[in-house]
Amino acid sequence: MYRSWLERDLKAWTGQGLIDTQTAMLLLKEYDSRPSSFSAGRVLMVVAALLFAAAVLLLLAANWDVIPRLARLAAILGIIWGAYLGGAALMARGAERLAAAFLVLGSLSFGGAIALVGQMYHLSGDALHAALVWFGGTVVAAVLFRSGAVTVVAGFLAFGVAGTDWTQSYSADQMLLLWLMPLMAVIVIALARYTDAGRARHLGYLLLVAWLAFIYSEYSTATTAIAIVVFGAVAYLTAALPPSPLHAIARSAGAAPAFYAYLVLMLSLVVLHVEFDAEGERLAVGIVTLGAAIAGIALSGKENGAVRYLGYVAFAVETLYLASETIGSIIGTSGFFLVSGLVVAVIAWAVIALERRLASTEDKAEA
Amino acid sequence: MTLSRSFRLSPLVAGIIVAVLQTGVIGYMVESRAAILRNGADIRLKTSPVDPRDLLRGDYVILSYPISTISKSIVTGDIAPDGTRTRLSVRLKPDASGLWNATEARFADMAPEDGSVILRTLPIVFNTYGAGEMPDTLFVQYGLERYYVPEGEGRALENARNAEELEVEARVSHDGTPQIARLLLRGEPVYDEPLY
Repeated sequence: MYRSWLERDLKAWTGQGLIDTQTAMLLLKEYDSRPSSFSAGRVLMVVAALLFAAAVLLLLAANWDVIPRLARLAAILGIIWGAYLGGAALMARGAERLAAAFLVLGSLSFGGAIALVGQMYHLSGDALHAALVWFGGTVVAAVLFRSGAVTVVAGFLAFGVAGTDWTQSYSADQMLLLWLMPLMAVIVIALARYTDAGRARHLGYLLLVAWLAFIYSEYSTATTAIAIVVFGAVAYLTAALPPSPLHAIARSAGAAPAFYAYLVLMLSLVVLHVEFDAEGERLAVGIVTLGAAIAGIALSGKENGAVRYLGYVAFAVETLYLASETIGSIIGTSGFFLVSGLVVAVIAWAVIALERRLASTEDKAEA
Repeated sequence: MTLSRSFRLSPLVAGIIVAVLQTGVIGYMVESRAAILRNGADIRLKTSPVDPRDLLRGDYVILSYPISTISKSIVTGDIAPDGTRTRLSVRLKPDASGLWNATEARFADMAPEDGSVILRTLPIVFNTYGAGEMPDTLFVQYGLERYYVPEGEGRALENARNAEELEVEARVSHDGTPQIARLLLRGEPVYDEPLY
């Protein structure tokens, strides 16, 4: 975690006399006071909300005969109201963390209420429909409260909706997910931006990656894989190239847009390796992959560490793969390990040199 | 960001709106069922045995009906194209013993007829895999397939169902949605469903 790194660095800097102990303490104190900073208390509070929601729902579900049906309904609605109004009151008093836990409890209880009502009244309807309603209700709560914690819940529910449809093989609507998944991803990313829930945006991007994987699973042809490669490349270039009109927007969202586009490009190139059997084709795919790895390092290496490391990994793995496919059979196993060792050593040297150059240009830029 | 932060809705207003909306959703679920039970047309259905592997998942009994299997001979009109997600309309008529059976099924809407009730199935993905004609039988669901019971009471109902002694009384809305009104064991009501 960043805090322990910070603490260690601060200790080292005080030891070297770069800063005094008081400054170090003040810096740590400042970090701890940030509302968005990670704290175990915050996470535990949300976990407590999860457990509490589960406990109440199970209690209601278990005491089937003892509690009349209408009383059960009133109890679950009471929890929903209590959670949202309690969260609102805490928010108004500035207790953001406890408020977040209450709102998470509220949005989970809403899902529990849907399930419980379905069970109490024997509504054996559409599970997908229920999941969508839950997702919708949670999105509304996230928007109105502008809550990052509820945005995270909505992000997971988006996966839940997709999973519900995907597992309903009997009556699954294949066409539905094709547009529903990207729509939910856009909603989650927009919510993450609106509520300042930085980490929740990864759920949105991952949903988009899962969507492309779903498209490929539905139409598993080389053409689909190539289309996704092209899509990944175009999306990456749009996000990463400074002249692109979308560059500014993508940069304002941090490293994620370029990284996930690059991830899609790399994953689809992996798929292409499987799609193409002939030697010449595989070599061509290999060369494209190496080119994409170098392009990623060259274009985003300086500003996007995530893309740079993915580029390094892709380059190293592809080189080893090509070596095993071409000379691997000629030189035998031990010879191949020798060659692999040499190749990795050369790549490592190149990476170290490159990292040093990037660091020194950064110094110059700052100076 | 600091500027847009100030546009945040008052938490109390947000809380009330969200709670009202979500209560509305739950209320709609409860009331749409109650409305069917209040105003729907009465039907009585025989249940069929279920593959023992499906027995009692959680605390509900899986119910299956003779009308869940649509035979080719009662299907009228055009069949749906391959791979489409569609619903069927199924016309039920009572026999001499008061049990309702499927007499006609269609991949489109059906005109109401005196003495019959039209049920809509849940969506199915229809596929003949290129054959282009109805398979001999088609399995459908109506949303009447689960009945939640108190823990431990499921087994008796399942035994009765498998001995073909269990009947279900349902009410059907105008648009063809059914809801279970009560369960009959050897002709005697065992679970009578209150409206709320």
